[in-house]
Amino acid sequence: MRAVLTLLAACLMAVPIRAQDAVTTFPAPGTERQVLTLDTATDLAAFEPLIRDFQRIAPDITIRYREFVTNALFEQARGECLAERTGADLVITSSVDHLVVLSNAGCALAHRSPETLAAPGWTRWRDEVFGFTFEPAVIVYNRALLKPEEVPRTRLDLIELMREQPARFSGRIGGYDIARSGIGYLFAAFDARNALIYGRMIEGFGRMRLVTRCCSSDLIEELGKGELFIGYNILGSYAYSAQKAGAPIGIVIPHDYVLALSRGVMIPTRTRQPDLAKRFLDYLLSQRGQRVVQQEAFFFGLNGSVPEGVEAPPGGLTSGMLRPIVIGPGLLPTQDRAKRERFLREWQNALQGAEPRGLQ
Amino acid sequence: MTSRGPSLYGRLAGVITLVLAIGALVLGWAAWLYARVAADEAFDRLLVGAALQIAESVATEPGRVTVDPPISAFETLALATDDRIFYRVTDPAGDSLTGQDDLASARKQGRPGREPVLADGTYRGFPVRIVTLGRYVTGPGVDGWVEVTLAQTRLARLDLARDLTLKSLLLVLGMSVLALVALLLAVRVALRPLQAVQAVIAARDPKDLQPVEIEAPREVAMLVDSINHFLGRLAERVGGMERFIADAAHQIRTPLTALAAQVDLLSTENRADRRRQQMARVRERIEQLGRLTSQLLSHAMVIHRREVVRLGPVDLVPVAQAALKEAVPLSLDRDIRVAFEPAEPSLVIRGDRVSIGEVIANAVHNAIRHGAPGLLALRLSRDGEEALVEIVDDGPGIPPAHWDEVVKPFVRGASEAAGSGLGLTIVADVVLAHGGRLTFRQDPTGHFVVSLRFPLLAPAEDATRLTEDAA
Repeated sequence: MRAVLTLLAACLMAVPIRAQDAVTTFPAPGTERQVLTLDTATDLAAFEPLIRDFQRIAPDITIRYREFVTNALFEQARGECLAERTGADLVITSSVDHLVVLSNAGCALAHRSPETLAAPGWTRWRDEVFGFTFEPAVIVYNRALLKPEEVPRTRLDLIELMREQPARFSGRIGGYDIARSGIGYLFAAFDARNALIYGRMIEGFGRMRLVTRCCSSDLIEELGKGELFIGYNILGSYAYSAQKAGAPIGIVIPHDYVLALSRGVMIPTRTRQPDLAKRFLDYLLSQRGQRVVQQEAFFFGLNGSVPEGVEAPPGGLTSGMLRPIVIGPGLLPTQDRAKRERFLREWQNALQGAEPRGLQ
Repeated sequence: MTSRGPSLYGRLAGVITLVLAIGALVLGWAAWLYARVAADEAFDRLLVGAALQIAESVATEPGRVTVDPPISAFETLALATDDRIFYRVTDPAGDSLTGQDDLASARKQGRPGREPVLADGTYRGFPVRIVTLGRYVTGPGVDGWVEVTLAQTRLARLDLARDLTLKSLLLVLGMSVLALVALLLAVRVALRPLQAVQAVIAARDPKDLQPVEIEAPREVAMLVDSINHFLGRLAERVGGMERFIADAAHQIRTPLTALAAQVDLLSTENRADRRRQQMARVRERIEQLGRLTSQLLSHAMVIHRREVVRLGPVDLVPVAQAALKEAVPLSLDRDIRVAFEPAEPSLVIRGDRVSIGEVIANAVHNAIRHGAPGLLALRLSRDGEEALVEIVDDGPGIPPAHWDEVVKPFVRGASEAAGSGLGLTIVADVVLAHGGRLTFRQDPTGHFVVSLRFPLLAPAEDATRLTEDAA
């Protein structure tokens, strides 16, 4: 009985926590006329410049910013869609596969404007899902703990490093918990698709007792503190933001191939104010919005520009090594129930199954 | 002025445009139907291909079936960029392994099989094309059919069908425009001879009734022939009129001159007996002039009727009897025996009743005027296929040497003392116009015979003509 009550209490507690991890309101600088609700899986610090800039051109709009973990946001948006409940005006997440699933199920409102049509083809699907950033998956390391010549520049380098000095790196390599982090899962799924060495890599991670975290910010923070030496497949934008803020971390864009995603935005069909949502969407894709995205928010541009202080491949981000995560029906199988289950099982088996060996 | 109907060219252009437009519509509809089938066929291959790839990923683990939908399957379907994709894989028990649990199978009946089944349907309100196919799996604790159902919305299919239809419509329209231009040119060329005919006739002197000489295609040549035929008849009539007027003027001028001279004489004559004598001659001249005038008029009438009146069946017997009655004056200065001798009760020919009556009267009158001291007979008989009308008198007749001449207008018989030669000319004209002949002979008893022969109407034709007339 007590167990049941505890469980119930946990559930009751869990629901509000899940639904509203954090709500931040940006009151309209002018007289408030409308309120725009953004449901996001994006760090507020990164997104805030965009909100401030938008309010400069639309001073009568109050913006409610609700922050979720990617998977929680997916459940929230799907729940609203299935229940035909009014909720967010825009859904913004790095897990674009979630948006593709939602759009496929008819949960998104189509929008076509000069701004949306100007976006690159791989960043939009059905005029419903749009990518507005360019975020490569990078290798992040603690500058104090790794000698410059030790810094892994390819996945093979990383495997070698883990093989050569297992004692030094055991428990010191971090990555996303792909069961909880949508972006971690997406990057892992694309790694599995792209790399022949994927198997060796997760085997290595298993031996090193990979430290898994839900969110980029946790990983970057621990990297900065020196608790972790190397972080793999971290979102470049967040890492660069921390580096810019003074964290003693180095950033490498892998030189063998580069996974890159475009953070997605979508208007749910049940939005209360579709016109305002479309206006904000157009702003994100506009030249003005893109300038803020590149200079203040996510630092990498859709044109492939790399910010100062990031170690890019010698030839720059050429199309040969770039593996963009194309927003489209090709993302549907990553969210296939059976496939996801199998992938997570294999991932966990690899990490845990290798653990005893790692301890040896 | 003729009333102006719509232009032939315009009407043809209208009809051709209408036919081509209807043709284009029908072809467009056919193209749409065909394009939809073609688009379905093209995209069905992708759909079946993707479903096969998913089916290939079905495997067994002890006690259960697993499926791992390959990314390539979805990338195949992503060739239809904007289309939604729904799928479902069910295990032998019918439970969902993955995908949308509420997606219905395309297989409505029968047992699962390897062959893909395709169907149209809707899923969550989206029109979709669905394929279902099966894989038989056996393994430890597993045995049965796994079914893969894959559905895709129809946007790309519609786009392709629309595109194909539009392209074929453009072709059809292009061809229609070409055909229209070609046909209109052809019509214009075809109508050109008509304009040529019009130009030739318009440029013509009104007095010129010569046939139109023009090169024309067969269809227009018929029109030219009609015009020429009409012109010919007109020329004939006008010629006849001109001849008649010239002759009549000449004929009337002579007795008038004589009459004027006699009246002159009369005015200077003092002696009563001579005066009376001259008065008698003036009267005679006037009578002669009157006769001539009436003969001219009758000739004019006969000519007119020949041109105008439609011929019908005429029974000669009553007509001849009436003509005889009319021609023989009630009082004659001579004692003539007049006989009407029909050998048949009825003799039907094709002709104009009035003209025939007139000519018989004329011939009888001639006989009384110029001969017949004591006998005048009108005999009617049948001679083979001809009806024979004979006017017999016991006068001197016309000498055989003049027989050819008397039938020409205004030639008098040698024995003729007074009057005009018109009488027999009219007779000859009319008889000829009825397809008959006029002949003279001296019969063995010395009587002079004028014979009029008319072709008889065939009995059958006779009957129908009569009933037609009655009707």
